[in-house]
Amino acid sequence: MLSRVADSLYWMSRYIERADGILRMLKINYASSQDDLHEFSWTPVLRIFTYLDEKQANAIARDSRTVLQYMVTDRENPNSVMNMVTHARENARSVQDHITKELWQCLNDFYHTIRENHLVRALQREDPITVLDVLIKQGLLYYGTTDITMARGEGYAFMNIGKLLERGMQSVDILDIKFGDLQYDFTKTDTMYWKYLLLSISGYELYLKTYRSGFEARNVVEQIVLNNDFPRSIVYSITHMHRYFVRLKSEGNTEGFRKIDFMVGKVESKVMFSSVEEIMEEGLHAYLTGVKEELYEVANALNAYYFAYS
Amino acid sequence: MQASELLNSYYVDADTWDEMYVNELVREQYRGVVDFMGQLSVEELNRKEEMARGLFMSQGITFTVYSSGEGIEKIFPFDIIPRIITAGEWGYIEKGIKQRLKALNLFLKDVYNDQFILQDGIIPVEMIYSCPHYLREMHGFPVPHDIYVHIAGIDLIRNNDGTFYILEDNLRTPSGVSYMLENREITKRIFPDLLPKNNVRTVTEYPNILHKNLVSLSPRQIPNPTIVLLTPGIYNSAYFEHTTLARLMGVELVEGRDLVVDNHRVYMKTTSGLQQVDVIYRRVDDDFLDPLVFNPNSMLGVAGIMSAYRKGNVAIVNAIGNGVADDKAIYTYVPQMIKYYLNEEPLLKNVPTYQLSNPEEREFVFKNMHKMVIKKTNESGGYGMLMGHAASEEEMSRYRVEIIKDPRQYIAQPTISLSSSPCYMNGRLQPRRIDLRPYALSGPDGIQIVPGGLTRVALKEGSLVVNSSQGGGSKDTWVLAV
Repeated sequence: MLSRVADSLYWMSRYIERADGILRMLKINYASSQDDLHEFSWTPVLRIFTYLDEKQANAIARDSRTVLQYMVTDRENPNSVMNMVTHARENARSVQDHITKELWQCLNDFYHTIRENHLVRALQREDPITVLDVLIKQGLLYYGTTDITMARGEGYAFMNIGKLLERGMQSVDILDIKFGDLQYDFTKTDTMYWKYLLLSISGYELYLKTYRSGFEARNVVEQIVLNNDFPRSIVYSITHMHRYFVRLKSEGNTEGFRKIDFMVGKVESKVMFSSVEEIMEEGLHAYLTGVKEELYEVANALNAYYFAYS
Repeated sequence: MQASELLNSYYVDADTWDEMYVNELVREQYRGVVDFMGQLSVEELNRKEEMARGLFMSQGITFTVYSSGEGIEKIFPFDIIPRIITAGEWGYIEKGIKQRLKALNLFLKDVYNDQFILQDGIIPVEMIYSCPHYLREMHGFPVPHDIYVHIAGIDLIRNNDGTFYILEDNLRTPSGVSYMLENREITKRIFPDLLPKNNVRTVTEYPNILHKNLVSLSPRQIPNPTIVLLTPGIYNSAYFEHTTLARLMGVELVEGRDLVVDNHRVYMKTTSGLQQVDVIYRRVDDDFLDPLVFNPNSMLGVAGIMSAYRKGNVAIVNAIGNGVADDKAIYTYVPQMIKYYLNEEPLLKNVPTYQLSNPEEREFVFKNMHKMVIKKTNESGGYGMLMGHAASEEEMSRYRVEIIKDPRQYIAQPTISLSSSPCYMNGRLQPRRIDLRPYALSGPDGIQIVPGGLTRVALKEGSLVVNSSQGGGSKDTWVLAV
């Protein structure tokens, strides 16, 4: 596979994963803002998914419609859903012969949908959840179409590596910022706070089934970092990324493969063989920062050994 | 209003061959379509038009216009009413194009090797050496199987008595074939069952024939040679076509930056190292192909690719330097080529063409400029054209001054009235002028022409310019089996 093609597939997948993460986060936070008119602030969401500095974020943090507009349709925001989808489609456009026609059409429809004027207006004036649902559904179509139509070859492996790496990094960021917001105080048992956090990453039902004792910070950490059955957990993202990575083993590029295999294996073991108690002992922030740094190193190594083409 | 009434309000321009109507009657080949449309209401037709537009959009069959920083997606206008060619007409066209291509290919071989045709005085030597597309780099180089023109898109038009004329030979990187394929797919959706009922021949084989031909050109005799399609990239207006063809043939779509030349071999950069490339179907012009040999500023090409080509380590399709054969001034000599190389009479006629480097012909053209079309010999896409019947005195005198400066750069042709075909526009049937571009593929087994082609439409009322860059659209083109 051409290095340029692998690079584009990887990024197409990362951008869509990010768009999906943002949309889910916005939907649940908007709902939460309706419950909690006085206390609610968008600051954590803005810190996870935008490059705004503290002052800029605080300036809009209590204005839901402005935040939605900025994060969904604003072209000036490099991480807006609009820009993510546009970048994903641009990447897809240049590798159309490596994705199925169905997948290309799906991304293309996503792109045309988010550019519709009435959607932009509705986001400002009508029920934003309806709009976010329309967009989330476009993302779901993308995942389903990928699963059903894409051949299980090298390209598919790169797409999944991108998706899972992005997801792992997102989960690290979400956890770190949400706990940072509470000054890493594990004694806080604010039901609403944890409930909305879990809802925003589709982990609420699983939490209820796993833990019968109500919402506790310790259990939230356990689920988001260590639960193998939770598809957005850090351990799930890394072990599955590793699973796709080993499929790249081939005659050529043995040096790159060995190095990255080692790096992924190392961070995988680190997470897999942690316990909540050990994490708390080390300090959640320090632990998450460590994991994140290792994930960034993996991304850089992929770039150097697989995608470098200029 | 019923669509049948819509047909009644159709009119035919005076002194024009209409593809559907003759003496107020529907031609035999159009009856099936006319009957079908007669059963539809205008609302249904509008819905079909809307559906066609939606299908083009959602499949990304678009080109992007960049203005004020934001890309706007546009589709090439598509008219829902097909253009229909009878089996008899097609048989003649097919034979005529094969004959012409055979001669053009022999001409390219000759002009880059022995140059008998120049020595025998059939074509003046100055004509060749003054052509910017004649490339000395190709001299004396034996191309595989002696094939230069692997893919040709020959433009045909029809004058008022229905005779087909050759308007242009496109022998470099003719485009538009994806529209032949996609327009057909759209027709299947908007007119269900109509194709089999009318015995329309299929065009789907095109990518398979092309792929087979490309494989047969591989310099390495290996079971699975590496074939690539070289594109200038996503900003090229034909990018959609490049991806479509790569996908339909299952070959790698590459950009110049994906390729590298080492020891006169071409490689592509892959995730598992360098992989040798055997055949390149390039959609990059000669001038941009190799910065070491041609335009040194080109970012689209591959440094050293010419040396790999000349060593015979890679096949390039179409051959380099073909521009000398589809130059508009050389065009005048194609009938003589056919006689010279094949000893046959040309089946498809040329449009009469005046060489402006010839003083007598130039004088004649200057006197009759309002009846002429003036074209630059090395431009295409409808650029650098003067339509005498629509031009102002000022424009004409400006052209006269330019022509006298460098007469070799211009030719003139009498204005030919293109045939018209009904188009569905704004809820009405209206006649619009059309041309035809069939695609011919040459391989070691001979020349094959897929029954169909691209019918381009001049969408402006009364316009005779069909180029997409000049506001043209297209139609699905049916060739009937019986």
